[in-house]
Amino acid sequence: MTTDLSTVIRPIASAHGLPNAHYTDPGVHAEERAALLFDEWAGLAVAADVPEPGDARPVEFLGVPLLLLRGRDDVVRVFHNICRHRGMILVSEPRRIEGAIRCPYHSWCYAHDGRLVATPHVGGPGMNTHAGIDRDALGLVEVPSHIWRDVIFVNLNGNAAPFEEAHADLLDRWREFDSPHHHGGADSRFTLDVNTNWKLAVENYCESYHLPWVHPGLNSYSRLEDHYHIEAPGRYSGQGTYVYRQIRGEDGAVFPDFPVLSQKWDAGAEYIALYPNVLLGAQRDHAFAIILEPRGLDRTVEHVHLYYASPETDEALRAQNTAQWKLVFEEDVSVVEGMQKGRHTPGFDGGRFSPVMDGPTHLFHAWVAGKIAAHRQRAVAAE
Amino acid sequence: MNGLDARMRAAHEVGDGPALVALYQEAAETAQSDMACGFFLTHAFVHALESGDARADDLKARLRGMGRI
Repeated sequence: MTTDLSTVIRPIASAHGLPNAHYTDPGVHAEERAALLFDEWAGLAVAADVPEPGDARPVEFLGVPLLLLRGRDDVVRVFHNICRHRGMILVSEPRRIEGAIRCPYHSWCYAHDGRLVATPHVGGPGMNTHAGIDRDALGLVEVPSHIWRDVIFVNLNGNAAPFEEAHADLLDRWREFDSPHHHGGADSRFTLDVNTNWKLAVENYCESYHLPWVHPGLNSYSRLEDHYHIEAPGRYSGQGTYVYRQIRGEDGAVFPDFPVLSQKWDAGAEYIALYPNVLLGAQRDHAFAIILEPRGLDRTVEHVHLYYASPETDEALRAQNTAQWKLVFEEDVSVVEGMQKGRHTPGFDGGRFSPVMDGPTHLFHAWVAGKIAAHRQRAVAAE
Repeated sequence: MNGLDARMRAAHEVGDGPALVALYQEAAETAQSDMACGFFLTHAFVHALESGDARADDLKARLRGMGRI
């Protein structure tokens, strides 16, 4: 199905949202998988998922089997999780690789950095070499990856500009936070399994319009007028606040601040959706990253991770913080699931935007429309 | 060899890499042909590689000396 995106890219005052098919049609979902997720720097996991050298974790991303592996050199790499011989899955459970990765089928072996280091019996019984098998050319296929704020971004199709180039302005915007971010550990991660298309989670996250209604707990100290839009056409959008309030324990204790922050962050915080699928929060005393894992057209798993300025933080305060954010993100579930159900209404025109309040969401829609249009043009040119 | 077979099966059962290295080396020492020796040394080498066992280097050198790697 080819959707009409002309109304989406209009100026916001007359624009419509993305057509229903972008949330309900398998063909459009397949287009988006290629154009929005595989052609771009998509969030896959976090480096904290493989904390020690040798740690390997299989991850499936939109049906593609991938392998996160922290090498002995402490470098985190992402590989296709298949053997170069018969395409067998190499690692099926998270585990520590002590030596080489041995394929469970014919035992071809790979080093931590992906090099093919053994091809047993490839030239016949007990003959482990053959002129036709060039081991140097048959290492694991590495996927371009980049780690920022502990998030492992991957460009599955290998065709995006380098991450630092593609996201130079956001890296610059949050340069003050370039100090180490320490994952809070097992009590600072949780997932939400949501019956919605992944884009609706982005759309909801990047605007502040819904805050007083969906998160009424904010109204006592953080009103709508305390927020501002963050708008970077074609790259990211979100919202910021001027009245960030640090979480405090019963004894008044707070988390330590990230070092050398300017005054802006005393009471400021920013929440940005980095297209396509990573939702980030930057605050003086902690940060978070949410990786949206599309499990299908109408199902998304939100992987939430919380980070601190110090590797040692108070356990009870961390638990309190995790619980607070979990409550906030759970409050959003009913609206993103409700919008997903709503997209099955015949004739829905994509909806209209508030010209004043919905700028960040419209920017995301316009980005989707632009990427899909370019993808379709390339497909036509290739015919 | 029957006793060795049983020990190999037991080591495979529990995925005991270091034991498998030793057992396949042992099998190689009593192999009746160069090919069989190469076969068992190959297995010893692979299990040494997988478990990060230091014996992998010697096994590799030995296989190389036999023109098998």
